[in-house]
Amino acid sequence: MSTQNTLTGLLERDWSYRETLVGGAVGIFVTIAVLGLLLPESLWADLFGIITERSTLSSALRLSVPIVFAALGGIFAEKVGVINIGLEGLLIVSAFVAILVPAILGPTETTLFIPNLWVGFAAGILASVLFSGLFAVVCIRYKADQIIAGLAVWLIALGLAPFAATVYYGGVNTENLGTSLPTWTIPVLSEIPLFGAFFSATPAVYAMLLAVPASWFVLNRTSFGNHVRASGENPRALDTVGVNVSRVRYASVLLSGFLTGIGGAALSLGLGQFIGNNQTMVNGKGFIAIVAYLFGNYNPIGAFGASFLFAGLEAVQIRLQQVPGYAIPDSLIQTIPYVTVIVVLALVGRTRIPEAAGEHYESGDD
Amino acid sequence: MTTAVHLDEITKRFPGVVANDDVDLTVERGTVHALLGENGAGKTTLMNVLYGLYRPTEGRVVIEGEERQFSSPRDAIDAGVGMIHQHFMLVDPMTVTENIVLGNEPRKWFGLAVDREGARRDVRELSDRYGFDVDPEATIEDVSVGVQQRVEILKALYRGADILILDEPTAVLTPQEVDDLFRVFEELTDQGKTIIFITHKLGEALHAADDVTVLRDGKNVGSVTTADTSREELAELMVGREVFLQTEKAPSDPGDVVLSTDGLTAEDNRGIEAVSNVSFDVREGEVFGIAGVDGNGQAELIEAITGLRKPTTGTVTYLGEDITDAPRADRIDAGMAYVPEDRHERGLVMEFDLVQNGILGSQHRAPFAERGNIDWNTARNHAEDIIREYDVRPPNADADAVSLSGGNQQKFIVGREFERNPDLVVATHPTRGVDIGSTEFIHDRLLELRDEGKAVLLVSSKLDEVQGLSDRLAVMHDGEFMDVVDPQDVTEEEIGLLMAGEHPDDAASAAEADAIADGRGEGTSGSRAASDVPSDGGER
Repeated sequence: MSTQNTLTGLLERDWSYRETLVGGAVGIFVTIAVLGLLLPESLWADLFGIITERSTLSSALRLSVPIVFAALGGIFAEKVGVINIGLEGLLIVSAFVAILVPAILGPTETTLFIPNLWVGFAAGILASVLFSGLFAVVCIRYKADQIIAGLAVWLIALGLAPFAATVYYGGVNTENLGTSLPTWTIPVLSEIPLFGAFFSATPAVYAMLLAVPASWFVLNRTSFGNHVRASGENPRALDTVGVNVSRVRYASVLLSGFLTGIGGAALSLGLGQFIGNNQTMVNGKGFIAIVAYLFGNYNPIGAFGASFLFAGLEAVQIRLQQVPGYAIPDSLIQTIPYVTVIVVLALVGRTRIPEAAGEHYESGDD
Repeated sequence: MTTAVHLDEITKRFPGVVANDDVDLTVERGTVHALLGENGAGKTTLMNVLYGLYRPTEGRVVIEGEERQFSSPRDAIDAGVGMIHQHFMLVDPMTVTENIVLGNEPRKWFGLAVDREGARRDVRELSDRYGFDVDPEATIEDVSVGVQQRVEILKALYRGADILILDEPTAVLTPQEVDDLFRVFEELTDQGKTIIFITHKLGEALHAADDVTVLRDGKNVGSVTTADTSREELAELMVGREVFLQTEKAPSDPGDVVLSTDGLTAEDNRGIEAVSNVSFDVREGEVFGIAGVDGNGQAELIEAITGLRKPTTGTVTYLGEDITDAPRADRIDAGMAYVPEDRHERGLVMEFDLVQNGILGSQHRAPFAERGNIDWNTARNHAEDIIREYDVRPPNADADAVSLSGGNQQKFIVGREFERNPDLVVATHPTRGVDIGSTEFIHDRLLELRDEGKAVLLVSSKLDEVQGLSDRLAVMHDGEFMDVVDPQDVTEEEIGLLMAGEHPDDAASAAEADAIADGRGEGTSGSRAASDVPSDGGER
């Protein structure tokens, strides 16, 4: 087969949603690479340089942690039929508690032989689980509107965390713990140029790289996953075969809080401090996570790809600020995820929203 | 033969309604049993009792000789009873296999993962054993409704069901799929399974079942073996022939034509022709009745006339104007009142109170509205008038429609439509679910409207009602008017035959010729030759 044929073949093929996205991303990267190599000293060359820098990849991975975990959490909630728009709030709560607890216990000491940093990590997760449990009760038991309840989760967290910080620290920001998540470096593998970044990272990054395939497995290969999907699509079908729909929904929403909590705790503990100015240090990551999982069509792997893309853009932008001559306002960069998702969803395809998402289910029979 | 199911004097009461009244039902193992009756006869309620969805108020459920008390479908499933609901309980984006094993997934890796391979194998085996042509890998949303139904049956079989209940299984199927389903029935009964299916189509019951039990108004009015019965007998059992509360009726004095249809043809929701070339006139000062077993095209015909369904061909003329394509709102404004068949779906907004419901359809017009503002005082007075006139209880205009009982909802709708000062009243099942006193009142009011010179088009599956009220009576079967008769002269037997699709004069031989001529192959009553497949698709 000649190149000509291959090319026309590729163009004429009916590309799937996934192929279009991956193809598009690869295409943009190749374009930058080609332009960068052909035109040294240009913006393209600088961009290419930044993209292929190991530190950019490192920071992209770090930045994607909260987005990816929140996106995974969002998938489990929405797949089961409870739209969790409060991911942002769960991130804020877990980020704050993860700092507050070690600050109280003593950042460098241990509790029951466990370093308080990790106690804080667990506490952050627990706070998020409790908060999502409250959300679940309101939505499932009391049949509140899920969007309103989700907004409430966000707004309560947005007010509560800086308030508690002010009470404890006298300001909306916490003091720095003086310690943060360690970097675990895997010998030899971390020496690999560029991709070595995957093997010299915080435990949170490793956890993320495990959580993505694990989430996919749970959702698609376990009976719990089957029940989750059925509950979000046709809860009555699940009910008639004798599975308790509410129980599945509670479990999945709590799991959503658990995953999101990991992201929030990792965010603040990565820095060693909680910043409560304006939108707090979470600053819309929960909402970007929603965009990411929609973008990834409720597939954990797709959501990871989208989150990584958004985080990567931010990493490039941060790096670009340091190169003289480019003054791209970061607020412009921050609109990129939203613009992309609108463009992509409008042009390439539709994500498929679970049929019963947002609907209450009442096991009706007397 | 042994008895698979025995329902012993089942009574099921809901607040204010007796849905099943002392019903006995016996089904032998390895047979197909049809539960036949009009809508609202209590068929589904009875089967929900058997499936554990409802607990009977009185009576016993005996399965395979053992008395059972089901508190949930789970118990029924454990006892080997499976039910295939009218609306399938399937998860669209999941595969056939995933749907079948849902809730009972085989596991592997110490219960960690679903054994997808094993599940697929089980499903394929099951499907092969009963000769089902189902691809275990297919996604539900990609397969036809007929296949989805087989998936539902497989789901029940996978859970070990020996007794299968199917609620109106043919309602959603094409004629070919109906044939396939009945073949599946044979396959299943050959292997010892017992099937009970609910239907209101007597052709199907005769063709596919070994025994038929007819329910009417919640009572078992007869259990017969299909070999020993006829279409006429079943039709009579279904509609009954209770003594009609004789309404005093003056002779009619028909005036000008108000409504006329010419060659009206319409399709049902599945795109199958449901009304075939129907032409008739309704005149001022007469009641034109349409009788027939439910589901023979009456609903589609009325929808085409009232503007709720677009006819494929033919015209509807109202007060001398062609309104075939006129929007529904124009028809209402032109004085066409309509008592719909489904009061929840089309008669009322359940979350609105009676004041709001009382002005529906007139909300934009004087005296209720002026320049877009609703005059709520007038609306309230109107609602209170209806409540008083039609004895709606509780007499509270502020009550939400949903809080009223079915009969009272019906009275309110009838009141609203009758008080519209219409030129034409289209009333479908106007007294369904209404107590006897109110029924009489509604009948009298209907005749009053007639005597005032209004035109009335009445559809009812209650034979005594249409026969007693109508001045001319059309009998509908399979989308066509079999005949238009004088209700005073015609006998019940004649109507029964017409409803069954046969002409009384030339009952035996000619009916067969007719049936062959219209390509349906429906033979004379009672015969169940293998080639004698009623393609009941058109009978809805």
